[in-house]
Amino acid sequence: MIPAGAALPTNTIEVGQHITRTIFGLTVNVDTVYTTVIAGAIVIGLGLWIRRGLTSGTPNKPQLIFEVIVDAVQRQVEEAIGPVAPFVVPLAVTLFTFILVANWLSVIPSGHHPELLPPPTADTNLTFAMALLVTVLFTVTGVRHRGIGPYVKGFFKPVLLSPVKVIEEFAKPLSLALRLFGNIFAGGVMVSVISLIPAFLLWPFNAAWKLFDMFIGGIQAFIFAFLTILYFSFAISEEH
Amino acid sequence: MAATSVQNAIAIAGGLVGGGLALGGGAIGAGIGDGVAGNALINGIARQPEARGQLTASFFLTVGLVEAAYFINLAFAALFVFVLGK
Repeated sequence: MIPAGAALPTNTIEVGQHITRTIFGLTVNVDTVYTTVIAGAIVIGLGLWIRRGLTSGTPNKPQLIFEVIVDAVQRQVEEAIGPVAPFVVPLAVTLFTFILVANWLSVIPSGHHPELLPPPTADTNLTFAMALLVTVLFTVTGVRHRGIGPYVKGFFKPVLLSPVKVIEEFAKPLSLALRLFGNIFAGGVMVSVISLIPAFLLWPFNAAWKLFDMFIGGIQAFIFAFLTILYFSFAISEEH
Repeated sequence: MAATSVQNAIAIAGGLVGGGLALGGGAIGAGIGDGVAGNALINGIARQPEARGQLTASFFLTVGLVEAAYFINLAFAALFVFVLGK
């Protein structure tokens, strides 16, 4: 028989809640919107701050970090694509930095129930928008570089593989978006689950999990940027 | 969750079992994938110790991609347990 009033402690957890407003009949997750703006402002502020201290002599630390990142990305792009689409390097570095900052926003707690400063990448709206942007960009670049005829013919060249290739074209944006979303969203869910442990006992688990979450956030930012470069190289190269 | 009816109880049970299956399958897949990647890393370092940095970087990239599938499973398990199974 079903015991009346049986309750699981997980009953108190709600996931995927956002602060919403309805604009013109559409529901907008305003917390994702303003945290995206905050993350973007941090990235732009970082860029302006580095530009202010820019020297060709001995660089200061933030400039050094950025130079290492840009250099690594440039090397990666050059061996994958060559000098074809020069906007890929800034795109990849921007994506990496923005996603990194956005993922690491999860470190700041607020205690409010739908979190006041959630990582915006824990919302599929942002990740799908970014994946769609990357997909449109690499498709257009590939078509522009190879011509629409050879681009479409590239799908049918090994005839047996053509359904696989078509599915792959849909799998690219889907997997880009869901991979990033799943990682960051799961981080938030784990924090909610850890909060069920009594307060005097939960702090080591929470600290360990948060550190791991920051590490995962970094790796996922890198993977998003790296796959962007890779998909550009696939779209541009002739033999694929 | 207060089970107010048999239907509700079945929904809760179904949600919990679905979440458990998603987590189990994801953990198995991630474990095997990370193990295979680690195997390749160890073999590579054994053959060529000076390639260690490059190999380790590729290893972490592969682990990130493998764990992505696991985390997607984790997100769906959370969906099943907390949202659908109520």
